[in-house]
Amino acid sequence: MPEALLLAAALLFSAGGIAWLALAMEVHWQQAHGSATGPGRRTATALRVLGGAALLASLVACLVADHATMAVLVWVMSLAASALLVALTLAWRPRWLAWLAPWARRA
Amino acid sequence: MFSTFRLSMTWLHTWFGLVLGYVLIVVFFFGSLSVFDREIDRWAIPETRFAPQPMPSFDTMLAPIFARMAPEPDELKAAAARVKGPLPATLAPMNWGAYTTHRDPVLSLYAEYAVPNNPADPDDHVHGHATLDPRNGRLLPDDQLKIGSEFFYPMHYGLNLAWKDLGYWIVGFAALVMLAALVSGVVIHRRLFRELFTFRPRKHVQRSTLDLHNLTGVVALPFHFMFALTGLTVFASIYLPVSETLLKPQAVAAAMADAAAKGLPFKPAGVQAPLASVDAMVVEAKRRWAARGMPGEVGYLYVNHVGDRNSTVTLYRAGSDRVTLVGQPIHFEGSTGRVLLEEPSPSAVASVNDFLTGLHLQHFEHWLLRWFYVFGGLCGCACIATGFIFFVEKRKRQHAKAGTGGARWADAVAVATVTGMLVATLAILVANRLLPADLAQRGDWEKAAFWGAWVLAAAHALWRSAPVRDARLSSAWAEQCSAVAALAFAAVALNWITTGDHLVRTLAERFWPVAGLDLALLVVGMIAGAAALALRRRAGAAIAKSDPAASTVDAAEAANA
Repeated sequence: MPEALLLAAALLFSAGGIAWLALAMEVHWQQAHGSATGPGRRTATALRVLGGAALLASLVACLVADHATMAVLVWVMSLAASALLVALTLAWRPRWLAWLAPWARRA
Repeated sequence: MFSTFRLSMTWLHTWFGLVLGYVLIVVFFFGSLSVFDREIDRWAIPETRFAPQPMPSFDTMLAPIFARMAPEPDELKAAAARVKGPLPATLAPMNWGAYTTHRDPVLSLYAEYAVPNNPADPDDHVHGHATLDPRNGRLLPDDQLKIGSEFFYPMHYGLNLAWKDLGYWIVGFAALVMLAALVSGVVIHRRLFRELFTFRPRKHVQRSTLDLHNLTGVVALPFHFMFALTGLTVFASIYLPVSETLLKPQAVAAAMADAAAKGLPFKPAGVQAPLASVDAMVVEAKRRWAARGMPGEVGYLYVNHVGDRNSTVTLYRAGSDRVTLVGQPIHFEGSTGRVLLEEPSPSAVASVNDFLTGLHLQHFEHWLLRWFYVFGGLCGCACIATGFIFFVEKRKRQHAKAGTGGARWADAVAVATVTGMLVATLAILVANRLLPADLAQRGDWEKAAFWGAWVLAAAHALWRSAPVRDARLSSAWAEQCSAVAALAFAAVALNWITTGDHLVRTLAERFWPVAGLDLALLVVGMIAGAAALALRRRAGAAIAKSDPAASTVDAAEAANA
């Protein structure tokens, strides 16, 4: 069972990481917050660091769960699935992503 | 020819993508199904719906079955034409093999039989196959078609076109073009990173289709690239058969030198000798694998030079926990059971090759990764299908004005390949449940249902494509989506009626091969049904817009008619 938990964590980290990287982009930040301005330089940097760290955590979880050869494949594919998930969320329910940057929520 | 590099890449991407896309979408779709080929086999052959089994005892179960196995009749007939004089009544077996994975309840056996007196080829041989239930040693009838592993899977790599290996070559060329399409696609994409997460479903069709094309292509780009590439390396020996042609003497010499270096007999001694206990060898092999820190089961068992003093038995470890298919082979002397060689870890080059092959053929035990492969494959299908739609959307107004039929033809072939392929796939599953169980050559009838349904779908796509001529949507899309929905629901219902395995039961028993396919069919049915409704609504709205006098209800009916 811990293997399933590790993989679930890897998927969560990967989806969160990709979402943070997307939020660091001006157009997607605007979609998520319904605002006309972007995230600001400091927030954007923070989001990128957070996103990168989450993706790294996802890779580590994959490596702990499986043999390294398999872990790399799982990780790369989880990035692809996360990217599609984030893109579709931005298309249909962009406001949901604002929950991932609660410190910067605005009316 | 073109003023800029990007324009020439656009031309390449458009035209090679269109023409080979019709092949590639078939390869992608049946590749995605092949990820679960064994599970589809269970659905199609209800008597094999039981748990996966380990390799059974060779001494008590497999040895007598191998001894009774015979060459395939059609191969024998072909071989008789190649030799001088008549073929002997029985052919001597050269080698036996048994292969299983963690997903196989039934065991596949094969054998090669020497064909003597062929002046052109002293190594001429024919094959024999059998499938058995390892719980009791009962053989399965050989006219039962394993729809997953014997029809959908060959469809993926060879289009089931056996004539002169034409299917392999078409798929290989398509894979090569796929690599070119990926590179040229990246070149012509103006904002690859800036629009990585961009999908604008509310913009006009041409824009949102292109968004979806870019999204499904770029997001799964590593998958698309690695699978096109490894697909080519898996079949490198077919596409570049140098070791069978130009370099055959060198290849044979290398194989002999390799065997000599390993102390393995390359040729039979010509002296008969019985086989020692293979079960004892299996025990020894498992002990050695455990000692190397990688305990495992036997995945592949191979007996070479059957019945000869030089016979060898090779046991490969099943690669359930690795990307590599099978590995860590241990060779035994057949007549004594003595270990001849425990092969060391493969060289770096061999490991890379094993990894690339294993990555593509995926016999490992990792359900999440298997589903990710299906996801990647379906992304490929979506990418190609949206490519077709974009091609048509971009041209249909110009073509309508100019009165040319190009867009109409491209659209009709797109319908025939996209939804027509789904209709055919579901038709073979429905036929599998409808045809009487004792029908002779049942598998051939199932294949006929598949091809017949596809031909009908193609004819329907052509017949209903007229609206594209007026820059409207072909009614075939919606109608075939309805057919897909109906067939998918029918397949689930028929599985319930004919086998009693409804979803409540299979889910309660956690029998995922059947429950999973039934659930997938229900999802396909619902998506196709929703798509059909949306397409009808859109067609109705378009007609109402172009003819304000007609009421919406009339228009919807006209679109349905």
